[in-house]
Amino acid sequence: MKISNRQFGEIEFTKEHVINFVHGIYGFEHLKKFLFIKTENDLFYWLNSVDQPEIVFPLVSIGMIHEEYPRESDHEPFGVVTLSTDPLKITVNLKAPIYLNQETKTGFQKLIDKDEYPFNFKLFVEN
Amino acid sequence: MLILTRKNDEEIIINSNIKIKVISITDGQVKIGIEAPKEIEILRGELYTKAQEVTKIASEASSSVLGDVSKLKVNKLGNKVDPDANK
Repeated sequence: MKISNRQFGEIEFTKEHVINFVHGIYGFEHLKKFLFIKTENDLFYWLNSVDQPEIVFPLVSIGMIHEEYPRESDHEPFGVVTLSTDPLKITVNLKAPIYLNQETKTGFQKLIDKDEYPFNFKLFVEN
Repeated sequence: MLILTRKNDEEIIINSNIKIKVISITDGQVKIGIEAPKEIEILRGELYTKAQEVTKIASEASSSVLGDVSKLKVNKLGNKVDPDANK
């Protein structure tokens, strides 16, 4: 199977690559199938909709931001990133994480209703 | 939208497995108790709306070209460097 978009050009994949989001993603509840893509040389992962290939979400593994972040059985937490040309304005959503299991090819997003996890957490700080 | 009038301690049953109970009503605030199966996600409406907005903005910004991050480091939750930035 193939999809293409501005971000990655042409992407070739098989059924085994598809991650199923039974309930979709907040704001995109109708999108249930995504490809999970790792780009080289940076820390981002990408969720690319199969049904609407232009819909792409950058992700980061939340483990590198907060080791004690809530886990879900067999699913690893990722934060949806809002990119910006100014790296200091890039934020990660720690309030509504995406949990992924690359073995079972399943994913879901949930809201963690706790003040300590903001919607817009600054991804980078000055070294 | 179905609209029902309920008093203190009265309940609404949805689909025989979801129970919504009026716990108390005071000064323009109503306290509601909900019993539902674990797989049913229960959210405050405004939080759900905000989650949808933030995710849509992230999707729109996904094609931004990333600037130079070589002089920066990944922020850690618990860092109190710039608390205003995380609001």
